Amino acid sequence: MACSIVVSGISVRFDSAKILDGVKFRVKKGEVLGILGPNGSGKTTLLRCIARSVRPVSGRIVVFGRPTEEYTSEEYSKVVSAMLPSWPGGFSMKAYEIVLMGCRNRSRGLWWEGEEEMKAAEEALRLLGALDLSDRDFDTLSSGEQRKVLIAKSLAQRTDVILLDEPTAYLDLKHKFEVMNLIRALAELGKTILVSLHELELVSYCDKLLVLKGGKIVAAGKPDEVLSEKLLEEVYGVKAHVRWDRSLNYPLIVPKVPKEGTICPRSISKGNFLGS
Amino acid sequence: MWIDWKRKRLRLAVYLTLLSLSLSLALMISLMIGSYALSPSQILEALFHPKDPVARNIVLNYRLPRTLLASLTGFVLGVSGGVIQTLTRNPLADPYITGTASGAALGATIALLTPSLPLFAVPFFAFAGGLLAVLLSLVLAKKARAGPIGFILAGIAVGTFCSAVLMILLSLFSQQAHGILSWLYGSFSTSTWTKVKIVMPLSIPAVLYLLTKARDLNLLLLGEEHASQLGIEAGRLWKFMLAISSFAVSVCISFSGIIGFVGLVAPHMVRLMVSSDNRFVLPLGGLTGALVLLLSDDLVRSPVNPFGEIPVGAVTSMIGVPFFAYLLWKRGEKFGM
Repeated sequence: MACSIVVSGISVRFDSAKILDGVKFRVKKGEVLGILGPNGSGKTTLLRCIARSVRPVSGRIVVFGRPTEEYTSEEYSKVVSAMLPSWPGGFSMKAYEIVLMGCRNRSRGLWWEGEEEMKAAEEALRLLGALDLSDRDFDTLSSGEQRKVLIAKSLAQRTDVILLDEPTAYLDLKHKFEVMNLIRALAELGKTILVSLHELELVSYCDKLLVLKGGKIVAAGKPDEVLSEKLLEEVYGVKAHVRWDRSLNYPLIVPKVPKEGTICPRSISKGNFLGS
Repeated sequence: MWIDWKRKRLRLAVYLTLLSLSLSLALMISLMIGSYALSPSQILEALFHPKDPVARNIVLNYRLPRTLLASLTGFVLGVSGGVIQTLTRNPLADPYITGTASGAALGATIALLTPSLPLFAVPFFAFAGGLLAVLLSLVLAKKARAGPIGFILAGIAVGTFCSAVLMILLSLFSQQAHGILSWLYGSFSTSTWTKVKIVMPLSIPAVLYLLTKARDLNLLLLGEEHASQLGIEAGRLWKFMLAISSFAVSVCISFSGIIGFVGLVAPHMVRLMVSSDNRFVLPLGGLTGALVLLLSDDLVRSPVNPFGEIPVGAVTSMIGVPFFAYLLWKRGEKFGM
């Protein structure tokens, strides 16, 4: 099948720090790619590169056969939508008005949004189960509710590629599963979805995983091949048992509880202020 | 959401009608009052069936150009204020934050102090000074690459420098200071058709352009990164809107002098009372600015005013500040973008 996104050897530097270093991978149409990695490993920067917010110092990104820099903003907004962090607050706007902003890319109206756009916004909010939030002031919503509205905004753009940066952060268990189910359903409709995740138990929703550490890819492949005890120790520095349950198609990750006396760092010992 | 979406258009239409009617009324009043009071029928007669040459002369050659210039300047300041507050994402920004006012003041002062220059050179120098200041702020901000805050800082730096030079010039040439100060305070007392004919064709297209971009301006409120992802050329639009609004403001204040307060507060009045959607803020803010400035100028000209020609900017603040204070008092929690 054709590749939606081909990333070839991109590197990003902020001042002297290397944020991404020679990252290369491909994503096929209709695939869900999960991006894992500890804080500061470059997950968000990678998504921002594909969203064209960050320009890599080397390498290039090709989306549907065309290098990203050849698209105009309007063309690109019809192909790739992104839900990235740092959404600004502090101005009063209703949730549905935020979602309507996602419809700007196909809008023909100069001044007002049309009925078609309203329908698209309504549909997007309904898919997220957030229709009841539509008339609420965006700033007064909880973090989880804001997350849902912002995902709806990305859906309202009706693009073939969707980039989601930690879409499940702040969400409760029910909504986490609902969002991941929605991602699966969208992939089945032929959308290509790149999603960064912190919750390892959600990787079974992904077709492929990409694991980053220090801006480099340390592992890539199918979830059950990638996720291993060695990887968790290498990437996150944690010791855990990892079992892939074939019947559930689900990873079971259980921390290895250290033996008594081995976990206690020297600073927490009897006599100092934490250890009474 | 459907109800809200439908109601929005209706609300804008209602507010536009109400404000336009008020402005028309204010225009009429403005033609009526002055040392030679005229009745509405006399004005209509003077405009369309001239019989009384004195009334016709007063209306056509003195009051009409002054009224037009005052309302146009108010409109431009109101719209540009809303635009620049959005572009800088700073509710405290006004149309002068780009250094326009100080640059224009310096330009005007240089023109006034140069003996060989005729008086009508003043606005052109003011205009050039204002635009130069904006360009300088833009270049500095681009070098700094610090976004809207960098631009505000650059504007303040350029503005402060121009003000410093201005103060030195004022103290060096203290005999001519009076003429300079009266320009700085702002006034419409010397309005003529020539000025109207220069200001109108330059500022009206500029302001219309700004108005048509109100919807995309809402996206710019999200910052360049998010706005580009939603499908607009955010960086280019930002620069273009800034240049156009500074241009319109420079054109207006080059003839009227520096009129404070309107550009800062008119957009906020709309935000506090109606909506912070720029499709409301820009047109309604413009009409509010026009109304406030026109009424202030009427007060300056009215026979009730015992002080003679006082700076219109001072009157604007005298009328506007209590009202704005009331709004803040009542709805302060809604203050913001």
